[in-house]
Amino acid sequence: MTGISLTESVARLAAYLYSWTIPLMTPLNPIHPDSTLIALIDRVALADEKALRELYEMTSSKLYGVAVRVVTNREWAEDVLQEAFINIWRIAGDYKASLSPPMAWMALVVRSRGLDFLRRRASDRADKMQELDDVISDTVEGDSPNPMDTAMASEQARVLHHCLGQLGNKQREVVSLAYLRDLSHGELAEQLRLPLGTVKTWIRRGLEQLRGCMGRLA
Amino acid sequence: MNLTRNPALIEQLAASYALGTLRGGARRRFETLARQDPALRAAALIWQSRMASVSELQPEVAPSAAVWKRIENLVDGEKQAKAMQAARDDSQQLAKENKGWWVNLNLWRALASVGAGAAVVAVLVSANLNTLNGKLGGEVQALGGQVQTLNAKLAAAPEIQYVAVLADDKAAASMLVTFDPKTNSLTLKRVGGFQEPADQSLQLWALPQAGGAKSLGVLGGDAVIKLTAAGTDVNVPTLAISLEPKGGVPSAGGPTGPVLFKGAMIQTAL
Repeated sequence: MTGISLTESVARLAAYLYSWTIPLMTPLNPIHPDSTLIALIDRVALADEKALRELYEMTSSKLYGVAVRVVTNREWAEDVLQEAFINIWRIAGDYKASLSPPMAWMALVVRSRGLDFLRRRASDRADKMQELDDVISDTVEGDSPNPMDTAMASEQARVLHHCLGQLGNKQREVVSLAYLRDLSHGELAEQLRLPLGTVKTWIRRGLEQLRGCMGRLA
Repeated sequence: MNLTRNPALIEQLAASYALGTLRGGARRRFETLARQDPALRAAALIWQSRMASVSELQPEVAPSAAVWKRIENLVDGEKQAKAMQAARDDSQQLAKENKGWWVNLNLWRALASVGAGAAVVAVLVSANLNTLNGKLGGEVQALGGQVQTLNAKLAAAPEIQYVAVLADDKAAASMLVTFDPKTNSLTLKRVGGFQEPADQSLQLWALPQAGGAKSLGVLGGDAVIKLTAAGTDVNVPTLAISLEPKGGVPSAGGPTGPVLFKGAMIQTAL
């Protein structure tokens, strides 16, 4: 056990995270959207409704995309997006303490609200299962090349995008869905109608490849 | 197993932890170790941060315009609720401090915010300030500059020992109650639109800290109602109004119908 203080480990972590974003810093435009978003979140923390509106205009399509992927249904995703923005309105003051890129922080709020929503729906989900299955099998079986969109993404996301791009489509999709929908190996196997062993192998290899790729870029 | 000597294993566990596929007992063991071991904790935080970016990489989809409208409405509603709560806190603080309550603009604003508006002024000073009421109209905000005048006139007005705003379950004010110990009189003014059916009556109850409700009287149908009460009867935390059969029910049995309005008794300066 090394005896470093909490402050020190946080500082080291921050430095590490920062150094790790440098190698892929090739932004298309010199002013990164992060600073704009951070300024807006700061204003939202002061109960500035105009800032909330601007923040919504800049990020709602991105965040709605996340909500759709998590809950698989556009109508539910609208409820989730609404809850997420009310949440952001209330907790914007907490953003500063998070050390996360702003879009990652907001996407995390959306994912949490989405997962809450699914848990609430769990009881009457039996009749919706068909719907859910269709969406998932569409996405997993489709051969869409790395469909991710990095237009508003943080540098950290660009690194991840690059590394996920090294995985096969299905592998990438299983890893993404495991995270986005907080699914266990068993749940993934059941919902994707894949053998449990296959899911475990894909996830394990996917994480190994990510580790190698991201380790090299750090 | 010494995790700290196995960086590859640390990374593997931290990645599965962050992805969410590390479950059950293995997850709990990992969390326990991470609380003790900064290196493990740092790896977990790094992987959580990396995984969070999965959310950032999803394709964009435009939501319908209705979503923003709903958010805007909720945010507005929340702002109003906060303002109302702040006004209530102010008035409670004021009651606690036992200040010269009538000179405090915040109390006027608080009462206005629960819907009583200028009606509050009308009843509080109804004995000799009816003409002023007419001039004031609905703009309680405008009172700011007139507080001094009011203060002077109030010195000559009846003594108000208690004031209560009785509201329904949606916090809409419906009845303003004041008590004047000099004349042992309770004055009730209807400030909401509620009117009981012709075959029923409203009955006013004192709800003491301990013991059952005590009837303070049955209300007539007029807009302003006067009842006689002893100071000890109204020295209670809460007043309530129930809907009863025409003519009311005996005090001993307590209310038999639904309680429509309720509110805290606020003691004014003594």
